[in-house]
Amino acid sequence: MATATRPAPAATTTPPRSVVTRAAAAVAGLAVAVVLVVAPLVSSPYINFQLASIMVFAVALLGLNVIMGYTGQVSLGQSAFLGLGAYITAYGVLNDWPIALSLLLSAVVPAAVGMLVALAAARLRGLALAMITLALPIIGVPLARRFDGFTGGSQGQVVSWLRAPESLGLANDQWRYYVVAVIALVAFLLVRNLVRGRIGRSFAIVKENEAVALSMGVSPYRTKVLAFTIASALGGLSGFMYLAVVQYTSPETLVFATSINLVAAMVIGGSASIVGTALGALYYVLVPVLAGQVNSSRTALISGAVLLAVLFVLPAGLVSLPRRLARRRSARRGTRTAPHDTADDAATPTSTDGSAPAVPAPAATTTDQHP
Amino acid sequence: MTSTPHTVRAGALVATASIAVLLVSGCTRAESSGGLGGDGSSPGITDDSISIGISSPLSGPTAGPGSCTVAGLAAYIEAQNADGGFEFGDGNTRQVEFTYLDDVYDPARAVSNFRQLTDQGIFAYVGALGTPTNAAVMPIAEEEEVPQVLLTTGARTFSEDQEAHPWTTGFVPTYATEGRAFGELLVAADRPITVATLAQNDDFGQSYLDGFTEATEGSQVEVVASATYEPTDTTLDSQVTELAASNADVLLSAVSVTPLQVGVLTKAQSLGWLPSIFLPSNTSTPGTILQPGGAEAYPAVFTPSFSKNPNSPAFAEDEDVQAYNAAFEEYGSQIATTYTPHCTWSYAEGAVLAEAFAGMEEPTRESFMTALRSISDFQAPMLLDGITVDTTSDDEAAISTVELVRYDAGTGGFAPVDGF
Amino acid sequence: MSYFVQVVVDGLSNGAIYAALALAIVLVHRATGLVNFAQGGMAVAATFVAFALTRAGVPVLLALLAAVVFGFVLGALLERGVMRHFERGDPDTAVVATIALLVLLTGASAFFFGYEPQPFPSLFPNRTFEVLGVFVSFRSIGTILVLIAVMVGLQLLFRSTKLGLAMRAVADNPESSALSALPVSRLLMIGWGLAAGLGAVAGVLVAPQLFISPGMLDFVLVYALAAAILGGLDSPVGAVVAAAFIGVAENLAGAYLDVVGDDLKIAVPFVAVMVILVVRPQGLFGRKTTVRV
Repeated sequence: MATATRPAPAATTTPPRSVVTRAAAAVAGLAVAVVLVVAPLVSSPYINFQLASIMVFAVALLGLNVIMGYTGQVSLGQSAFLGLGAYITAYGVLNDWPIALSLLLSAVVPAAVGMLVALAAARLRGLALAMITLALPIIGVPLARRFDGFTGGSQGQVVSWLRAPESLGLANDQWRYYVVAVIALVAFLLVRNLVRGRIGRSFAIVKENEAVALSMGVSPYRTKVLAFTIASALGGLSGFMYLAVVQYTSPETLVFATSINLVAAMVIGGSASIVGTALGALYYVLVPVLAGQVNSSRTALISGAVLLAVLFVLPAGLVSLPRRLARRRSARRGTRTAPHDTADDAATPTSTDGSAPAVPAPAATTTDQHP
Repeated sequence: MTSTPHTVRAGALVATASIAVLLVSGCTRAESSGGLGGDGSSPGITDDSISIGISSPLSGPTAGPGSCTVAGLAAYIEAQNADGGFEFGDGNTRQVEFTYLDDVYDPARAVSNFRQLTDQGIFAYVGALGTPTNAAVMPIAEEEEVPQVLLTTGARTFSEDQEAHPWTTGFVPTYATEGRAFGELLVAADRPITVATLAQNDDFGQSYLDGFTEATEGSQVEVVASATYEPTDTTLDSQVTELAASNADVLLSAVSVTPLQVGVLTKAQSLGWLPSIFLPSNTSTPGTILQPGGAEAYPAVFTPSFSKNPNSPAFAEDEDVQAYNAAFEEYGSQIATTYTPHCTWSYAEGAVLAEAFAGMEEPTRESFMTALRSISDFQAPMLLDGITVDTTSDDEAAISTVELVRYDAGTGGFAPVDGF
Repeated sequence: MSYFVQVVVDGLSNGAIYAALALAIVLVHRATGLVNFAQGGMAVAATFVAFALTRAGVPVLLALLAAVVFGFVLGALLERGVMRHFERGDPDTAVVATIALLVLLTGASAFFFGYEPQPFPSLFPNRTFEVLGVFVSFRSIGTILVLIAVMVGLQLLFRSTKLGLAMRAVADNPESSALSALPVSRLLMIGWGLAAGLGAVAGVLVAPQLFISPGMLDFVLVYALAAAILGGLDSPVGAVVAAAFIGVAENLAGAYLDVVGDDLKIAVPFVAVMVILVVRPQGLFGRKTTVRV
């Protein structure tokens, strides 16, 4: 993803290479897309459940990435919005609302809550803001138990819904997969456009330096409120998807531990990266499964070790893996086949795919875009 | 995303690898569809083997009881396997393949584990611990007609309406059963008694109180103070202080967290409040709760009990206990390093499972459920004399009676109760 | 009246538990500029060492000393072997590395000792005394006295010793500290070691009440973070005062506000912390500079 700070996409600076890699990228992207469309038709309900779960948490992570990765504000409360969205959806289904209304409210209500919190808190920075977001799941869990008329209390709510329409000839697991896949696709496209546009640039500037942002006429306060609202809306939306896939919600859905795991998954995937977000979701869902394959009594030990190992090898996240491999390969050959890559790495250690400007923006370019 | 080939390549690489992982860990649609095998038998059973699965919290705050729930069952099954296997009603002898997974008490993870286990072709899902996790699994088990049985949760949902949920059964007495036993004891005393209640703010605490209230309604027993707590609370000092102000005769402490229950016992006496104490069966182990809590200070400590404590000297010569200890040492101690009563419960559950196998005339899930629901008056190992398993009632768990016992500080064990 | 005082006293003894860990968070933040989610995990690992020793018959005080030494070495090693790798990179990555350490240490503790909470012997007599109808336990008094000693010690360390001043300089600005010839890497290592040693003290102080288990401090960490941030993150006194405030506010709300009740009493201190931070972002005792994550 190119940003304001990179006037030209990285690939165009080395034209001969870029044609090949672009083609390769297109083929790779197409292959992934085809697999994602075809996989549910041939996979067992279990695999479809896992694939759909990946979509769910991808959207939750997407929201987290908007506030944390792109805007640089730590949020430890994403699980609260996920839970709120799931509860609203459950309430809607049980009260026979149209599904479109449940979908809408599952995003709008968490967005409103998120915005209210942000309006109060967005002047804060760093840990003070983190503290306030941390309080959301901590308070949310007893609240969910208290209002059991709305939430079903500690027993939670079983919601059997979203059965496949008979005319399609799909099984329930396939239908639910496609529903969440479409929602995830739309969410990803919207956010991708958002972070590439003017708003995305203001996110990046606020992340870099709030004082500079002010001097450029970008209000850090309003930018942070906006980012937090979007993050909350996506969190709520992922709650809708969660209920579609799991068909159950309870106070355990919004516990603080989930927020912490989401933060870890976001960084593991790749901060401020759309592809990294998807990779983070893969990690979030698959590592517990893998740990269970190794030894179910030692899951904490295994997940901790895997998490640390990935951070060691790929501090910029899974998204930086091919770059790492390319560099390793060129180093072994002793030739610099990819001089652009290495130079780029050295200049921007925290930028994994050119989406997060680690180097302060050239003032001229950016001010032009913010007249 | 075309402008950043690297990221797309990363995506393709990792996504491909992940899908490969999924495909390896699961199977394709054709294999898993269809409830019946070629010869009319259900998935997960052959002439010489049957596979069962369980998902319980094996890490996180509930991992103590969760690990024990797996370890006791594993101990029984593996010991029996080593002893030749399980006799079935169809004349075959089978080895049980036992798979367990960790769900960290997270319902989404439990659903994922359940789907993974059925995908791997388990015959039945047995003994899982946890109310929300099992509640999330129940509709799927019902829909896919997979037995979800002998659950280690006392929530009423899993046992109270077995016609509506023909594939689900609970194992341990419901929490309400325990609460009711306390109520009945007090009512039988036939004099005015004041009670303070402390209950966990969830279905565990609530059904405990419900059972107690049902039994004491219209009697001379009066609840004069009540408080609740969250399992995440660090201490219950303020709740106990509040209850102590009532100076009630009895404290019903429906607390399921070990350190908090010990804290209640120490705090009440430190405030000079010495009521008779009622403790739930899962937090009344002498070695870890009563002795550290200084329970000997109270006039009486009652608890419902239905299983033998393998660490108690009173049972050292008991054959069941010796068999349990040998099996656990060999097969269970790797999974659970510390004892909770769940270890013995799930061991007994293994024996109930064996009993159901013995009555199973065909290698199908239907036949298994029929056999499992026809067990009565069965004396499972590790259950106290007089406590029997009866699965024929359609609104009660497999064990529906409890015996009240009284802590005897002198022996460090329990003694029978002859009235309040 | 004595009921009111009893509730406050109970709140203070809860606050002492939060304060113990909050002090360690403040120390590591002062020393490295980082928030360390593994603080609780390291403290628990060290407390388990004391636990194993006391089970083998070693007196509690001696076991405590061994735990502190173990904690110091563990913290220093983790800084040297793990955290150093992330210190110059993205701060989010470093924070996630501490989350990884927390998960790993929890898993390791569980591997050796299991997840079920186990009793832990107390340094102080498990008795109470009565003053004007209010019951106070020796354990709470002992815990609070140790905390005050630690707090004063830390304050002195940061204000008046060369080591403390150097550590502060390194946390505030590692580059220029390196230029002025401070041994930055060794100072960071010592900072982590001290914080983990302090964590061991905290663990041994609270374990008799909370019981030792791998997750013993997981939820306490949330309170401790709240206390540390409310106190201003840099101030030992602030952390202790904030922890006491949180403990007392929670208990008073539970006892006197029926709307709040026992289930939602946790919301009261957290909402209060939110409001206070919005009004005073640097916390109660914080220096008015920007907070580095």
